[in-house]
Amino acid sequence: MLTWQTLIPILLIMVIYSFLGRVINQEQEKQAAPQPVTVVDLDNSQTSKMLAGILTNVNFKVTTVTEGVEGDIVRKVASEKGTAVLVIPQGFQAGIQARQPQKVRTYTIMRSFSLLGMQGTFRLDAALSAMNEYVGDTYIRTGAPGLDADMIKHAISAQSFVTVGTISAEGNPQEIVGVVMQQTMIIPIVLFLVIIMAAQMIAASIAGEKENKTLETLLSTPVGRGALVTAKMMASGIVALVSSAAYMVGMRSYMGSLLGSEGGTSGTASLAIQKLGLVLDLRGYVLLGLSVFAGIMVALSIAVILGAFAEDLKSVQIIITPLMMMVMLPYLITMFVDINTASPVLKWLIYAIPFSHPFMAAQFIFARNFTVVGAGIAYQFALFLVLATVAARIFSTDRILTMKLNTARRGTSSGGWPILRLVQSLFIRRK
Amino acid sequence: MEQALVVENLKKSYGKFEALHGISFEVAPGEIFALIGPNGAGKTTALRVVATILQPTSGTAHVYGMDVQKDAARIREIISYLPEEAGAYKNLTGLGYLRFMAELFAADTAVQREYIQRASDITGLGERLRDKIGTYSKGMTRKLLLSRAVMTRPRLAVIDEPTSGLDVVAAIDIRESIRGTAAEGMAVLLSSHNMLEIEYLSDRVAIIDKGTIHDVGTPQGLKDKYGKANLEEVFVQVVKQ
Repeated sequence: MLTWQTLIPILLIMVIYSFLGRVINQEQEKQAAPQPVTVVDLDNSQTSKMLAGILTNVNFKVTTVTEGVEGDIVRKVASEKGTAVLVIPQGFQAGIQARQPQKVRTYTIMRSFSLLGMQGTFRLDAALSAMNEYVGDTYIRTGAPGLDADMIKHAISAQSFVTVGTISAEGNPQEIVGVVMQQTMIIPIVLFLVIIMAAQMIAASIAGEKENKTLETLLSTPVGRGALVTAKMMASGIVALVSSAAYMVGMRSYMGSLLGSEGGTSGTASLAIQKLGLVLDLRGYVLLGLSVFAGIMVALSIAVILGAFAEDLKSVQIIITPLMMMVMLPYLITMFVDINTASPVLKWLIYAIPFSHPFMAAQFIFARNFTVVGAGIAYQFALFLVLATVAARIFSTDRILTMKLNTARRGTSSGGWPILRLVQSLFIRRK
Repeated sequence: MEQALVVENLKKSYGKFEALHGISFEVAPGEIFALIGPNGAGKTTALRVVATILQPTSGTAHVYGMDVQKDAARIREIISYLPEEAGAYKNLTGLGYLRFMAELFAADTAVQREYIQRASDITGLGERLRDKIGTYSKGMTRKLLLSRAVMTRPRLAVIDEPTSGLDVVAAIDIRESIRGTAAEGMAVLLSSHNMLEIEYLSDRVAIIDKGTIHDVGTPQGLKDKYGKANLEEVFVQVVKQ
């Protein structure tokens, strides 16, 4: 029956994605806005003023202070929510003119340790590099007039291309990897939520029927047992299908907000990402959607089998634990291990877990490795058919009523370990 | 005349535990037959086997000549089973629940309507049938479930502890409903550990304890046989022997 309890998780998926996309987008725009920096110009010379101008050119919002105690100024800037202070010491211009290395002092005021927040702290390096460029240009112009300073410093430059499959596009590899990572890193988390919610829903529906004894009534009606399982699976499957659709819509909106932002991704990188096919096209969405749907169906069939062990709604959480571990395992493994370079044993172990495939599908789609994605989907559906048959078999015998977890030993040696209790339950105790 | 139910040497084991040690009894059409015994006697197991939701370990049970194992699907079309303390879907209204169950028994909407009408009449819940079951008292839910169990005019109704946990008024209503529908020709197999209720309700009684039927007879016949004033005293004497 369609209730708010079933609708809310589906709506939640879309809201989470859309929220994440918006938050990341806003953060990136914040990072892309001119970063305020306070220049403490104790030299107050032509060169030091020029440096402040250069900082403005490389997207800093410069406030210049020419007198005061350095420590006091830093504290004041920090209290006024400033982010950086650059101190140009007295005698700076004279030292440059004497061709002696000079030191400026930078203060980075740390407030946020989030990934995006940290990005702001590194831009002082960009400021330093811009200043060095200027000083280097000055030396070349005065030391070797007539020579092109830019040509001397950048006699060799690289035009970076990234190649995926047979397509190459101009762009910075690190930036492109960064954007793709942002797209794919969220998939397992949301997928984990979808799978667990759908599995809990069906296990709870079976446990609830057992607890209320509506299952006994249903089993005595002239409705085929296979039809009962199919109806349960179909109902949850429809929820799963709608969940996957919501998942795809949410993800599209999330990715759209990432790529559409002017802040985070540069124009070149955006173009390269489009050209390299590192955004999901219709085929990509269909394949990813199928993989997610198949993953959910496998989870549902496992949940039906596990749900048959449940005596009541309270035991559903314990029953579902092995499934949760199965979903988490590939996520954790693929976080630390590259599937392409993993040992054959580990690689096949990852492939054997049906939930690895939706996690990895996006990466393989981006890499144009459609065979692996297709094989993964086929494997998931084959496994689903086997598990659904087992589930139907359980419903067609009296095991659906007599199977249960062996709770007699609860509180003893294995009492606190649900997984051990489940292993124990393989030695079925009947009522 | 063909018997509504014939149970012969029926055994049922759960793992190593044998819950039924080979029980035998018969129920005639229109007869109310009761299994009486304490908790754990094997009453529910016997009822579940007859209702085709448990499979016997050995022995046979035939409903109107059909075997509970081989002809389970056909038997389910002519019986109804009401488990002890059964619930209903709390999100549905009483009418919604009756409609849902009617659809499981009949494809024809006219037949479904007839079932729902009959059940509505039997429940006596009136307008409350439009309320969600979650708001019903235990007695109201039991009346709804009993009316559901008899709305299809089953040839055999299997009812486990019909009035367990109900107040006196609700229990009397339920008993009257069972008697009324049995009078129309429906055979009833029921179980109870309330001996006085059984004495009032049943045509014949089987005394069961620890998976074995110790005696079968009419309530009056058993009282006369053992020289006791009521079935409770008969039960105690039979079990002690």
